[in-house]
Amino acid sequence: MTVGLIINQNGETASVEVASNFGEFAISLDDFATITGWQLKPEGLCIAENCVPVRDAKMLTNHTHIDLIEFARVTNQNIAVDQQRKVAALGEQADVRSEAMTTLDAPDFTLPDIHGRQVSFSDYNRRKRLLLAWSSW
Amino acid sequence: MREWATKEPMSMPILIDKYHIVADLYGIVNVPAAVWVDEDSKIVRPADSVPGSDMFRSFTNVDSEVHHSLLRKWVRTGERDLNDQQVREFQVSPDQDLQLARLHRRIAIALRESGTDADGVSVHLARAEELAPLDWTIRRGNMPLVGADPFGDEFFKFVGQWSQAGRPGFKLGTGRTDI
Repeated sequence: MTVGLIINQNGETASVEVASNFGEFAISLDDFATITGWQLKPEGLCIAENCVPVRDAKMLTNHTHIDLIEFARVTNQNIAVDQQRKVAALGEQADVRSEAMTTLDAPDFTLPDIHGRQVSFSDYNRRKRLLLAWSSW
Repeated sequence: MREWATKEPMSMPILIDKYHIVADLYGIVNVPAAVWVDEDSKIVRPADSVPGSDMFRSFTNVDSEVHHSLLRKWVRTGERDLNDQQVREFQVSPDQDLQLARLHRRIAIALRESGTDADGVSVHLARAEELAPLDWTIRRGNMPLVGADPFGDEFFKFVGQWSQAGRPGFKLGTGRTDI
């Protein structure tokens, strides 16, 4: 086992053990559920009520660990991996993102404010909101 | 940023988005940019370049008052300058290269924070730039991370490349005086 770092699509990070005897970048089922929000069930890979069937379970899991690269492939997500440094970042594919944008639903997000307190966009629901992106350089 | 933001009391929350999550969610390809979201959490104006003042007007050719005035009108009366179809039309959809570039940039930021692997940081910032050479949040966003001046030579070199490529990015052009 070596220690690796995962960055999920919301920008949350987790330090995890990466299996040395299975997959290309495999982590424990518990770590997997915590960092991705997905779970491995008899019907497939599931998030909330939605499940994606898994055709080749042997590629995905050895029942204690799940391979993140295969997970990303099965669920149509992007993944960037640095095998040497054991860092992986998961994110949305362009067509999934573009499709979501056309709904005009404002996606929620949670980020730390300048005092370190977590703030969600949805804390301001039911109000008009001006979302400004800028940099102080 | 904390120093500037706490100099004047402000009621708006100021959030730090080191991984550019909001850029990914809302199709923001440069700063400063604004998105309007209404009471029903619907996007009613897509991300567009909107300077807070005319300080850089000779460079941007944007009259900042145009957006300010549209914004005041929407806040006071609920009247929008774009309908839903126009909002969709003026959104900037990402391509796969940009989505992957964002992930490499996130890896670089995480490695930078761990502080032990300067090579790793450079490798992933460079990969992000290869994948998205014309995206401002990648190219200009990387400049302070590698010690380049975001208003210096690197910046003007990038602006040259971006202009040559037909200025890809925001489509709306709010307040532009040159089009």
